[in-house]
Amino acid sequence: MAGKEATVYILDLGTSMGQKRHGREKSDLDWAMEYVWDKITTTVATGRKTALMSVIGVRTDDSDLAGIMDVDEGYENINVFSPLKQWLLPDIRRLQGVVKPSATNNGDVMSAVAVAVQQIDAATTGTTGKPLKFDRRIIIVTDGRGSLDTGDMDAITSKIKDYDPPVEVVLLGVDFNDADSGYKEEDKDTTKVENETILKEFVENCNGNFGTLAEAIEQLGIPRIKETRPTPSYRGTLTLGDTEKSQATITIDVERYPCTMVAKPPTASSFVARTDLGGLGETQSSNTIVGDEDVPMDGQLSAVRNQRVYQVDNPDDPGEKMNVEPDDLERGFEYGRTAVHISESDANVVKLETAASLQLVGFIQAEKFERFLPMSRTNFIVPQKTNAEAQLALSSLIHALFEAECYAVARLVVKQDKAPLMIVMVPHITPSYEALVEAELPFEEDVRRYKFPPLDKKLTVSGKIITEHKDLPNAELTQAMSDYVDAMNLSEYDKDDEGEPTEYAKIEDTYSPLLHRVNQIIRWRATHSDPTLPLPDPPQILTRFSEPPSDLIQQTEQQLAALKKAADVKKVPPKTKGRGKRSRADRDKPLSGLDIDALLGNPKRIKIDANNLVPSFKQALAATDDLEAIQEAADAMAAQIRTLVRNSVGDSAYGRALEALRVMRDELTELEEPEIWNVFVREFKSELIGGKLGGDRREMWWKVRGSKYGLIDRKRCFASDVTEEEAAQFYK
Amino acid sequence: MADTQDNRPGEEEDEEEEIDDTSYKTIKDAVLFAIDISESMLERPPLSDDKKAERDSPASATLKCALHLMQQRIISNPKDMMGILLYGTEKTDLKDGDNTFQHCYLLTDLDVPCAQDVKQLRDLLENEEEAEEILKPAKEPASIATVLFCANQIFTTKAPNFSSRRLFLVTDNDNPATVKQDKETAITRARDLYDLGCTIDLFPISKPDHGFDRTRFYDDLVYPTSPSDPDAPVAIPSTTKVAKSGDGLTLLKQLLSSINSKAAPRRALFSLPFEIGPGMRIGVKGFILIKRQEHVKSCYVWVGGEKPQIVQSSTSHMADDTARVVEKIELRKVYKFGGDTITFTPEEFIQIRQCFGEPIIRIVGFKPLSMLPLWANVNKATFVYPSEADFIGSTRVFSALQQKLLKSKKMALAWFVARKNASPVMAAIIPGEERYDENGEQTMPPGLWLVPLPFANDLRQCPEQPPEPRTTDELTDKMRVIIEQLQLPKGVYDPSKYPNPDLQWFYRILQAMALEEEVPTKPDDKTLPKYKQIEKRCGEYIEEYGQTFDEVFKTVGRAALSSRPKAAAKKRPATAAADDDDDEPKPNKRVKKEPKVKNEDGDDGLTDEQMAGINNKGTLTKQTVAVLKEYLSARGQPVTGKKADLVERVQDYLEDKGL
Repeated sequence: MAGKEATVYILDLGTSMGQKRHGREKSDLDWAMEYVWDKITTTVATGRKTALMSVIGVRTDDSDLAGIMDVDEGYENINVFSPLKQWLLPDIRRLQGVVKPSATNNGDVMSAVAVAVQQIDAATTGTTGKPLKFDRRIIIVTDGRGSLDTGDMDAITSKIKDYDPPVEVVLLGVDFNDADSGYKEEDKDTTKVENETILKEFVENCNGNFGTLAEAIEQLGIPRIKETRPTPSYRGTLTLGDTEKSQATITIDVERYPCTMVAKPPTASSFVARTDLGGLGETQSSNTIVGDEDVPMDGQLSAVRNQRVYQVDNPDDPGEKMNVEPDDLERGFEYGRTAVHISESDANVVKLETAASLQLVGFIQAEKFERFLPMSRTNFIVPQKTNAEAQLALSSLIHALFEAECYAVARLVVKQDKAPLMIVMVPHITPSYEALVEAELPFEEDVRRYKFPPLDKKLTVSGKIITEHKDLPNAELTQAMSDYVDAMNLSEYDKDDEGEPTEYAKIEDTYSPLLHRVNQIIRWRATHSDPTLPLPDPPQILTRFSEPPSDLIQQTEQQLAALKKAADVKKVPPKTKGRGKRSRADRDKPLSGLDIDALLGNPKRIKIDANNLVPSFKQALAATDDLEAIQEAADAMAAQIRTLVRNSVGDSAYGRALEALRVMRDELTELEEPEIWNVFVREFKSELIGGKLGGDRREMWWKVRGSKYGLIDRKRCFASDVTEEEAAQFYK
Repeated sequence: MADTQDNRPGEEEDEEEEIDDTSYKTIKDAVLFAIDISESMLERPPLSDDKKAERDSPASATLKCALHLMQQRIISNPKDMMGILLYGTEKTDLKDGDNTFQHCYLLTDLDVPCAQDVKQLRDLLENEEEAEEILKPAKEPASIATVLFCANQIFTTKAPNFSSRRLFLVTDNDNPATVKQDKETAITRARDLYDLGCTIDLFPISKPDHGFDRTRFYDDLVYPTSPSDPDAPVAIPSTTKVAKSGDGLTLLKQLLSSINSKAAPRRALFSLPFEIGPGMRIGVKGFILIKRQEHVKSCYVWVGGEKPQIVQSSTSHMADDTARVVEKIELRKVYKFGGDTITFTPEEFIQIRQCFGEPIIRIVGFKPLSMLPLWANVNKATFVYPSEADFIGSTRVFSALQQKLLKSKKMALAWFVARKNASPVMAAIIPGEERYDENGEQTMPPGLWLVPLPFANDLRQCPEQPPEPRTTDELTDKMRVIIEQLQLPKGVYDPSKYPNPDLQWFYRILQAMALEEEVPTKPDDKTLPKYKQIEKRCGEYIEEYGQTFDEVFKTVGRAALSSRPKAAAKKRPATAAADDDDDEPKPNKRVKKEPKVKNEDGDDGLTDEQMAGINNKGTLTKQTVAVLKEYLSARGQPVTGKKADLVERVQDYLEDKGL
């Protein structure tokens, strides 16, 4: 975690910054601000109180030193926009209002540096007069077209180097010549040449950094990664054998630190528009309110509270629920549908008593380890700090595992009375450290033993093995796939710094797309509050690995073509369903293949049977092509659904009614008779809401709505004349 | 107390970061056992002295199996329903006073099981008198059509909208309807069940003198298996092996195995296009096969009534200012920034999250499997299997890919967007080989596994470490002997050997409390190391290691301390005492097996001798950086710097070795 920081930005706002140069679409200032805003918003986004910032404008129209310097003379055209403090959103808004090119070219960047040093000094000195521990930084952005007063330069330099650590000076020059990147501005005027030399020398003397703005902006695209201080999740012993009873045991003091931990994007919270302000449409713009500092956004939104209601089945009135007070509730668990009440004092009885420990259970062969078994993020197991014995002992285990090509299986309890975990530990040897890396393994209960058919052969019902089948690759496909896989090799596709072939898409080169995307957009919106502006696209670096590298695709064109040909994959055309398909002959048959309808003499009309509702409805539809018969079956079904609801005690028959609705809706959709359903469901809705089916049946309507058993729209069935909007409206 | 659960206003987390597997669970399953109670089903096997011999009658083995399943499902699928229907009994009772279904006895009503159901079933198995009364065959067997219609009614009323409903029919009678009329009715009723969306799973048991011939009757009743997700792959053979007693395996074990083999994924986690190369797509589905099974969360119980009742809680959103109830669509998502808030319209939100393209698994290229270290893990892997639903030919292409990856020990690197709103991840796609147990039952399905990889953002630094002390070859070899002695069976980790002790304990206690029985005191923890075996197999090697450790530490350890005076000056932690047993050295027994000289293993690149040879020939600089690095890192030497540095380091190392 970072310590305290004090950063002052010195922005050159001279008239010359307002020009557009070298074919850029933006003025120099706007271009420079791209960098500055990114830096500032990144700091603001951390929300750290210990990251202090201020911004000083130089070559401004007026002068305002905010009382930092004793004298004003020599500090003209310098404007201190902010004290050194934690920046918040309103500070950004305020700065946006004042950062514009001035009408003057007067003003001295070096004097501004003096002001910055003074400002830092004042803010980072303790009450005893001693400088506090701070990372001090001055960032200068200038086009070097102003005049420079070099008089006090040496004094400023020595002051800057006086601190421990010294103030870090960063100079970003607009179109400065740069030997490193080879940039040279043509037809540079002499003042700028001189200024560039002076400024670079100054920065060099301060041991600071110089870079061109172009470079800096280019680097903005590379996501910055937040560093986290490692915190141990286990401190204790790694043991082999029964340390309590046995003589022959090994005990090593170890600590456990995270090795991987998924960094999550910032989460959004829920708010609701304040109703007393006239509702969402009017005053609630889609983003923050600009410029009006006294009314923060929060005035428009109200926090959301969650209200909980507790209900039980009323013992006196079956089918009805009653509310109970939270005070009458106790803790418990469900065992099946039995509630097991466990009083507060007994709460620990269900807990397995364990002692914190890391015990070796045995060793396994690396070669045979199934890489899909580990089910968690990983951790380092390292020797206890400053414990040489532990380090030596763990080192011997790590190397022995490495040489024997084995992994260790261990039982880990991170804290007393926490549940034990089975973990796998693998040796991890690097030049600078040695560790075991560990991940959780599944228990018996964690593995679902579902069966899937073999992929390299086909089994028939009679138990025969078939090796040639349309689902099995033939020799041509096998070869084509093999060639393609070998051709698309990434293991040596990239080049390292020395030009040696190296792995492409190393983990170190991949950045979490969503995390950086959300951060990018939040920062962007903080400085672009106009709601009509389109959101920017994600930076290219985030999608770099979303596709194979394009030149590799070109190289492997041939292999891919061969693979496509051998594979002969065809897209399934959009479903061509229709009534024609639903002839009796197509109905599913039992294993024996018996034609049951034939057995029953192919009856033409089947009556809907209340006691066998769903099957008889399906069979009735299957028996006929006649629209009238379909309508008749649907009517009978509808009547039964109404009966179910009407006779339901409380919600007792709602489940059956819902299932019947689902079947009826699905079948009529498939038969392409959506109108029959839509007519029914419209009536049904009004009956439910109107209380025409035996009392208050609104709850049934909520369930119909929740199950989305509403109108069949055009998207679901082309024969429908109901639009999607209409269907959505129906649920309201 | 209730307040502890209440979220702070505005702090509610909303995003679907992880692949949401809740929908996976909502596919509930209802299983109804229908058990044939006939003379032959009740007949016990002849007494035998063999401990492994069959003791149960087919009926009681089935009931035991049902009890086992019931208890297992309470843990693994607490929302699933189960029921037990006996047929052919003298008694008729469906617990609703209706006698329509003659000779049908509903032992356990179809419902989420309660503690009482477990107790009743257990009592029935333990109490012979009660068993005799209930498990008494009628003079006339029940008609199978009646049983099927009875099941139809039970499913319709008790589990009306369960998407998975299965009738487990256990019988040893392969031709229960001899009259043509009866048979036809049964066939019609079976089709009704099929149309209702219920599956009949037949568990046939053969009689000692008579096999079970499905074609005589049941093939007209049983349909090809239809999982509730029509797109799920059909793996389960529609026919189950015929169980018979005296086959080495007990009937109970055979039944349990048959039932377990019916376990099928009820629904795919995702169904996505799988892009193998530009313009070359197939269809795949993802399934969760490995997932941490947690015990049920604690809930609120209302104790105001006669019996404790589980409380259902519902949450509504309320505006903080006006206490007005708010609908979900009114909620606005807001980011906190700089002490203030930044909002986006819902449309903008979609744009932010969905700017990375459609959901897909897209292969970027291939790498050797060795480039997937274990540390590159952040979450469980997802199983991927082909589907012909969108692309015809998917299975053969998938199969070719899986076999190629297996053969060449390669993996694919893929860009993976699981759902519309999901965060894109990079994933390693590794092949999974089909594995069987000794009975020919599949233990691991064939397919591909999708292992999500960490991003640079997810990597944490290992805390700094002093460069010394490091192990010596001598000490390493002593440890290596121990490692070789303590291999797990077959050198693999088999999850089925390690039940979760915490979970098992939790449900044992909960069950005892639910049944108001005595609470057990000692947990059965199979995860604890087998101390006796460790002692027996390598007690002496451990002691030898201890001695060597002391010797080595005297030299290496001291050197380490003197080489970093700063660290040595620090206070040593009180717990520094490392190896207890080191203090009491035992008489040294010579290890029979000579420890191998590590350099001759040949697995970690060049040996010292080979490297010395290369050096003497003056061709050391011709070696590639990779070779040098591998050589150095295998010897715990730093591998940083330019090639010249590496060469120098190798030479220094060889010189130290006297080569």
